[in-house]
Amino acid sequence: MSNDFAQFQDAFFEEAGDHLSVVEDGLLALEQNPEDLDLLNKIFRSAHSIKGTSGMFGFNAVAQFTHKMETLLDLLRNGQKVVTPEIADLLLKSTDCLKTLIDAAKSASPVDDETVQRLTVELASASDLTVKAKVEDGPSGGTTGTGTAADGRSQSPAPSPSRHFSIAWTPPEWIFQRGLDPLQIFKELANLGTLSQVAVDTSKLPELVAMDPEKCYLAWTMKLETAKDRQVVDAVFEFVREDSVLTITEEVKGKELGLRGEERLSSPEPSASPHPSPLTPHALSLTPDGIEGEPKPLGEILVETGIVSRETLDHALAQQKRVGQILVEQHAVTPQQVEQALQKQRQQESASQSKKTDTASIRVDTDKIDKLINLVGELVITQSMLSDLGSRFEMSQISVLLERMAQLERNTREIQERVMSIRMLPIGTAFSRFPRLVRDLSAKAGKKIQLVLSGEETELDKTVIESIGDPLTHLVRNSADHGLEPPEERLDNNKPELGTIRLNAFHEGGNICITVEDDGRGLNRDKILAKAVKQGLISENDKLTDDQIWPLIFKPGFSTAEKVTDVSGRGVGMDVVKRNIEALSGTVSIKTALGKGTTFTLKLPLTLAIIEGMTVRVGKETYIVPLLSILESIQPKAGAIKTVVGKGELINVRSTYLPMMRLYEVFALEPEYTDPNKSILLILETEGERVAVMVDEIIGQQQVVIKSMEQNFRKVDGVAGATILSDGTVGFILDVRGLIEIARRGAPVAA
Amino acid sequence: MSKTALVVDDSPTMRQMVTLTLTNAGFTVVEAEHGKDAVAKVAGGPKMDIVVTDLNMPEMDGISLIKELRKMAAFKFTPILMLTTESAAEKKQAGKEAGATGWIVKPFNPEVMLKIIAKVLPA
Repeated sequence: MSNDFAQFQDAFFEEAGDHLSVVEDGLLALEQNPEDLDLLNKIFRSAHSIKGTSGMFGFNAVAQFTHKMETLLDLLRNGQKVVTPEIADLLLKSTDCLKTLIDAAKSASPVDDETVQRLTVELASASDLTVKAKVEDGPSGGTTGTGTAADGRSQSPAPSPSRHFSIAWTPPEWIFQRGLDPLQIFKELANLGTLSQVAVDTSKLPELVAMDPEKCYLAWTMKLETAKDRQVVDAVFEFVREDSVLTITEEVKGKELGLRGEERLSSPEPSASPHPSPLTPHALSLTPDGIEGEPKPLGEILVETGIVSRETLDHALAQQKRVGQILVEQHAVTPQQVEQALQKQRQQESASQSKKTDTASIRVDTDKIDKLINLVGELVITQSMLSDLGSRFEMSQISVLLERMAQLERNTREIQERVMSIRMLPIGTAFSRFPRLVRDLSAKAGKKIQLVLSGEETELDKTVIESIGDPLTHLVRNSADHGLEPPEERLDNNKPELGTIRLNAFHEGGNICITVEDDGRGLNRDKILAKAVKQGLISENDKLTDDQIWPLIFKPGFSTAEKVTDVSGRGVGMDVVKRNIEALSGTVSIKTALGKGTTFTLKLPLTLAIIEGMTVRVGKETYIVPLLSILESIQPKAGAIKTVVGKGELINVRSTYLPMMRLYEVFALEPEYTDPNKSILLILETEGERVAVMVDEIIGQQQVVIKSMEQNFRKVDGVAGATILSDGTVGFILDVRGLIEIARRGAPVAA
Repeated sequence: MSKTALVVDDSPTMRQMVTLTLTNAGFTVVEAEHGKDAVAKVAGGPKMDIVVTDLNMPEMDGISLIKELRKMAAFKFTPILMLTTESAAEKKQAGKEAGATGWIVKPFNPEVMLKIIAKVLPA
């Protein structure tokens, strides 16, 4: 395929992804409304687009497989087949398979041929099509490809200097109404060789009054002498052949050829023929699906037809020269010029290869870009106004200065928001997998489940969306597997048979909240407690509040032991969920009511590049603590702090002892206060562990842009990153996880 | 004066590829997403030298578009090529009955496409 098109490959994969979700969503909806023709058409169109476009990039496996799906879909939308659950299921499985085929094409990796084959057969049998039937419809679709591509490529096998054709042609009356002109046909024929004895037959011409000027009443006969082969001549009439009365006879001199001419005479392409079958060698290279394969090189064809021997061909090939060499011999270029050109070619090749390696792309609404450009324009204006003011500033203009500064601030903030919004995608892309998942789960578990999605348009950072999929899947799976009761149990409890799982996303402050809610049996307090005791997570005498009990299910290893029969006993993977969410600087919380259901709420930052932070001061240094990890801040009472051998300092917060760290010790600073009673303690939490961190003062809340420590300096324990503060100095962002590690080790880093 | 072409396809990738092929050959291209879009873009507007249209499209499919265009004076005799993967003869037949000049089979080779266009383009 043309190199020009390679640039569209990424766009194709993105588009194919969209089409795949249209197909999948459509099929799921179709199961509910098997009669919906609009839906079928939509699915068909998407499959069709994938087929057409994938062929452009030579992804033949994708194109062929989609063709099979399309055949079945076509039968469905034409009403020749009815959508049954089996067919819907087959098509869904095929969509999965198509997805893997497309992924394979993307990464140029091998595919699971067995699945492809099996589904291909299943699709074919569902379409009631034998392989033979397909061979038939293949070549007829490829007529354009064959006819027109034939000239130049598969020249006549035997190079004959000139052939004589006698052509009689009566075009259809309506030829003009299809935008065709007989004149063009004559021109094309004349380009092939010498056109002579063109005679027009006007016998059909009606009386002038009866004549429709938009119709063609004429017929022609002519002779053509050409070096081209018959197929090329045929191809000239391609778009009109089936509707014309056309006879092309090859006039021959030799006896042997006479026979061939006869043969052809007897098949003057009858106008009724639905399947013109130009059986050129090229046509034979079509795959049964009408998707064009690589044409064979000229030499191969000559060897196959027995015109030259393999040895002769090899010998001839050995004499072939490179273009550069020929040009040098003709003194058209110097060897150095050729070498330079070759070097350039190699560079371009390697450049195009390196470009291929995973360019994560993002599609941005042009609207967003336009607004951004508009804002940048405003920023430039503000800047020039400021510099104008600066060049002749007087103290009397201070109010003007302040006004312009405010304008600058507004511009900057808006641009920041807009730029951030470029990375923002609607969470719907992460939700889209769930209808299918829930369908499969409900089938597997024998439960009736409906999935209700809301807030799909809520936008959040692309990276967050990409990482949120797995934890969400865990939660939905858990709700379907264990949250919701079997239908009988639900009926017994006066609940509707149909269980509901709700996925909702919404903004709250600078965060996005995603809730996974089921109306199932809810978490069982006693069972969790019993299990936690058994697992040694708590002791039997511990008095825990509900809010302390529910998070137990996030503990690693919780409940893995008991339900062996279950695919995922409640709790399996829940620790992973929590870890994943926390890796995204988010939190998970649980609300549950026995017999009524459970709601998991994920709270995530909108972006990973900016965090909401609390600035704190230790001595002269400023640190930023991620706001999400701060539980509370306290001023400890005298005597609340105890020193325990081997554990360091502990502080009693409402009768729970937490490890206490003096931040000035950790980072070896000169603090304002060394007495905990005068300073402030921040209670920080991550992954369920808590630590009290002692600082001199809390300054305030602010959004900070995270700069990587590793990229700009090196990794420092207890520091997650750095940021530039409003006064231009660098402030460190505390890594709560790291601090807890340090507390556990009990050794200050003393940087 | 460069020649003008109307390219209609609901797949942006495919549309861009057709457009690139045509602009490389010196055409000025007007793109449309589907039949309705195409009709809106050419109604009372520019006359086109050639139309290349997909068949399966939302809103208004290719066959209906061809019928619509043929009703317009400016497109009565304009060459209209169907861009199709349809192997079924009836689809092609339906296109011809609607007034399509010819067809280009997807996946297409740019050279082949230009050759077919040259074939039907009025001198």
